[in-house]
Amino acid sequence: MDSREMVIAKLAEWDIVPSEEDLAELVPAYEALLQSQNVLENMLRTRSMGNAMEFPLSEPAVIHDMGRYR
Amino acid sequence: MSADGADLAFAPIEELAPRLHAREVSPIELADLTLRRIEAINPRINAYYTVLADELRTDAERAEREIARGQYRGPLHGVPICIKDIYESGRTTCGSQTLQHYQAATESVAVRKLRDAGALIAGKAATFEFAYGMPSRQSPVPPVRNPWDEERQAGGSSSGSAAAVAAGLAYAGMGSCTGGSIRWPAQCCHLVGLKPTYGRVSRRGIYPLAWSLDHAGPITRTVRDAALMLQDCAGFDEGDPASANVPVPDFTAKLDRDIRGMRIGLPVRLYEDCEPVVREVFEEALRVFERLGAELVTVPSISVEEMDWIEYPALWSDAATIHFRQLRARGGDYNPNTRQYLQWGLLVSSGYYLTAQRCRAQVRDDLIELLTKQVDVFVLPTNGFQSPPLIPEQPPGLSFLSGFHLYTAIFNFTGLPAVQVPCGVDRDGLPVGLQVAAKPFDEPTLLQVAHAYEQATEWHHRHADL
Repeated sequence: MDSREMVIAKLAEWDIVPSEEDLAELVPAYEALLQSQNVLENMLRTRSMGNAMEFPLSEPAVIHDMGRYR
Repeated sequence: MSADGADLAFAPIEELAPRLHAREVSPIELADLTLRRIEAINPRINAYYTVLADELRTDAERAEREIARGQYRGPLHGVPICIKDIYESGRTTCGSQTLQHYQAATESVAVRKLRDAGALIAGKAATFEFAYGMPSRQSPVPPVRNPWDEERQAGGSSSGSAAAVAAGLAYAGMGSCTGGSIRWPAQCCHLVGLKPTYGRVSRRGIYPLAWSLDHAGPITRTVRDAALMLQDCAGFDEGDPASANVPVPDFTAKLDRDIRGMRIGLPVRLYEDCEPVVREVFEEALRVFERLGAELVTVPSISVEEMDWIEYPALWSDAATIHFRQLRARGGDYNPNTRQYLQWGLLVSSGYYLTAQRCRAQVRDDLIELLTKQVDVFVLPTNGFQSPPLIPEQPPGLSFLSGFHLYTAIFNFTGLPAVQVPCGVDRDGLPVGLQVAAKPFDEPTLLQVAHAYEQATEWHHRHADL
């Protein structure tokens, strides 16, 4: 499945049909998104199974808890 | 004062407040002046969607009576301000065709607090659609023009608030900021833009763009004005799930302290792609901090590319999640840019999203450790490029992925407070700004450093020549 087909299929999961104008923007952006995954993976300091237990570096920031820094 | 009242129209609140209190200037005079200027200038720059002329005058008359009776409420009493049109208050369009007829039944908490402090609401200011989609040729509303160069954008997404304050059509404005939408327009319009700590100002009644990134804050002419505005809109609100239940300090308390001996961290790697036309002005500004006795320290940093790829998944996914039902039902009513940004959010996988959130936590902890052990604040350019043409030949669409380097989002996804301060004009006469960032909830130190810089320069005395 190429990028165009992937974009159409993913939006179909949400019952959304993109226009050709939309696809012209979305397809290259989707390809950039896939490439950028490496940027994030290379940033992560804890990649092995064992290191994943190191709190808090492996804990996703789902929402701020700013009060702890007060 | 000049014959047309221009000097009064561009006065900062810190100068107006004692004159209002002493009844040397009246709220009615300010309201009438503001309305006259809006009538004359707004058709050129499109800063306001809705002007509340009758309400402004009625409120000004009430403020005048209260002050005359000795019931002075504080520095905002009798001062006309504007509100970004994503804050619920009367007609609230979010700059979108989809909400052209929406009348809010309640008022956002921040606006209510500012009213309680005596501020007068002059009107609802323009915004990128839902604080998101950049202006395009298909936008239902005309783009905001930058008072410093009407053929250029006023930044975004709080472009109307910034343009109104810069053009003397309001004395301050409220904006919202998800990736830089207070600091960038403030920079483009040569103003101060304050994004407080995440959770400091309630977002209840403000249309969300991305829940974990959204902040509310003021756009003003001076740092002290920003402190005064924040003072009256900050505070815990149990109706905002992210609101922080922390004390509200006196944000002006440290403004007059010097910064001698303070250590200023420069995250140089983050802004290494800054265009020379901006960099040369910023580097001159750094010399001012040195002359004030601060020590400049280069600190490790993520790159702008890493910053963007941490910010984007949360921004896109949150926004898409907020809008997808409407996108499905009325997709054609959105500006094409907005629609494409929203669709894009539906392409982000959960694994990608959470990987970005892990990186985000890592960066937040790194910055706070630097601020705890090595430096007092960070200083960096607000962005690395000139204000773009009004509507570029190539519609921005998703192409903002490259060459659109705001250095602001890092303080949205880490929640740190940050303030933009004018630091000069480039060789084309366009404003350049720097931002200062500090520890969570340490806005007093943040504002202290920004104020020290501001007072050591003359930039805050300049305004757009309209």
